[in-house]
Amino acid sequence: MKPILVFVVIAALALLPWALDTRYVFHIATMIAIMIPLALSMNLMLKLGQLSIAHPAFMGIGAYGTALLTMRLGCPPVLALLSGALFATVIAGIFGPVFLRIKGVYFVLLTYAFGEIINLIFQEWTGLFGGNSGLYGVPKFSIFGLRLTAVQDYYVLALIFVVASYAAMRAIERSDIGAMFESLNEDEMLSRSIGANALSWRIAAFSFSAFVAGISGGIYAFYIGFLSPDPFGFRLSVDLVVMNAIGGVSSVLGPLLGAILVVPLPEILRGAHEYQLLIYGVCLIVFLLFMRQGLVSLIQPRRKPA
Amino acid sequence: MIEQMIVNGVLAGLIYVIMAFGFTLIFGIMRIVNFAHGEFYMIGAMVVLLLFGRLGVPFFLAVAAGGFVSAALGGVIERVLFRPLVGEEMPGMIMSLAIGIILQSLALIALGPAEQTVARPFSGTWTLVDAVLPWDRTVVALSALVILGLFYLFLKFSRLGLAMQAVAQDRETSSLMGVESGMIYTAAFGIACLLAGLAGGLMAPVYTIGPYMGEQPMLKAFVVVILGGLGSLPGAVLGGLLIGLSESVLSTQLDSTLALIASFAIVLLVVLTRPTGLMGRNVR
Repeated sequence: MKPILVFVVIAALALLPWALDTRYVFHIATMIAIMIPLALSMNLMLKLGQLSIAHPAFMGIGAYGTALLTMRLGCPPVLALLSGALFATVIAGIFGPVFLRIKGVYFVLLTYAFGEIINLIFQEWTGLFGGNSGLYGVPKFSIFGLRLTAVQDYYVLALIFVVASYAAMRAIERSDIGAMFESLNEDEMLSRSIGANALSWRIAAFSFSAFVAGISGGIYAFYIGFLSPDPFGFRLSVDLVVMNAIGGVSSVLGPLLGAILVVPLPEILRGAHEYQLLIYGVCLIVFLLFMRQGLVSLIQPRRKPA
Repeated sequence: MIEQMIVNGVLAGLIYVIMAFGFTLIFGIMRIVNFAHGEFYMIGAMVVLLLFGRLGVPFFLAVAAGGFVSAALGGVIERVLFRPLVGEEMPGMIMSLAIGIILQSLALIALGPAEQTVARPFSGTWTLVDAVLPWDRTVVALSALVILGLFYLFLKFSRLGLAMQAVAQDRETSSLMGVESGMIYTAAFGIACLLAGLAGGLMAPVYTIGPYMGEQPMLKAFVVVILGGLGSLPGAVLGGLLIGLSESVLSTQLDSTLALIASFAIVLLVVLTRPTGLMGRNVR
């Protein structure tokens, strides 16, 4: 399949909700559009060879930060959205130097523990975050006096961010930075010996991907209007891994395809929720054993054999 | 007060050590981070729920059966699903994630989301110095000590145990010496799952049983193993007891969530100063 054809299909899918024009379809489409940047942010870390379980936590920090800034401090929504995401970026910038000193397994374990701890803080600090009963009444998003209320508006907002984050990730992938990430993943000693500063680039990628996850979280907060710790837990990490594994890690198109396929699944399996995880698991195993490069390998022939 | 905190810490820590042993054994030998480790703990507890709770089989027999079921399942899973991915860290990790969620959802389908309980096989308390010990926790701790002792003897003196250590140190050289590493992988994974299943079975009467019960012990095993050093058994003992004690002290003084956060802070400090853990080797 030609890549251009794939983009035409994706663009058509993005416009599909207007053709069907039901609230339900718009809701699913909006959730897909919120998840795509998250899947992309995990993809950026995977390209560096690091599986980060912390990104749902960064989404949560962005979501709670944005919500609390608008609710408690009366911040304008745009400012709150950016500040929430910046907050996630700062936290990634603080913890990154510790986490990223180590590649591979320890990194996964540390980000896993980090995600759990952040989620526990959301659950237990009830005064600020509302605990498990949740944080109600996040105001609606507004920009230039335009107040977004309908689901269609949020779909457009999320789509704009999908395009922006996709363009950014694609630009990184094709730039010298992308080439450097790839070389760091493949042979760190060699790339360091020719002058790549491994740790700084990893911290930069970690912080940037936390920013993207934070914005997604903020959009989610404005759209849903209610926050609880549950959606930002380990389960979301599993979802993001599934998206990347099914779509393919090697290209930014992979997580995009993965998100389009995976996010609607819980809606399709409504009423048979317990089978959802089973299907995820079986899909993961099938892709791991038989199609390691994911769906993108069907579209783009791999540039070189590994 | 202090005695009580130490006793509680050691009681909790011993179970962490068992979980961490299996976890670190799989990593040391196969270089796989087993995200499904908590699910094998859950399987052990489920078997005890079924055999001891429903059918009235004697408790220790049920625990042993739980360990055996978990070990058999682990061995099969290793042979069929992990073997094609040997030596590949990231795909191995994702595979274990997949196995974990499959086992969780199967438990959810089979037993439903409700938390269940098993009647305690032992009740009452006894006192040691100034500390009050419930008998059921004491039995768990004693059994844990026996399991850890047997495991130690197995590693140090049996042919299989020695072969495992050899593979963990250097796979290629040990296969030159005639150790068939494939069989060692299956055995190591099975034994690690045996340990997790036994731990889950022993703890079944202490906590509630449900499809997600493995998540907490797995998080603990992770933390213990990072602290002690991946692949290091003495590190797992040290890490397990340290985490058990610090949790016990902090949860008595503060509360259990703060205790968990504090143990994470301890781990961060250790990783900052000693990136491979307290007793870790340099693994690269």
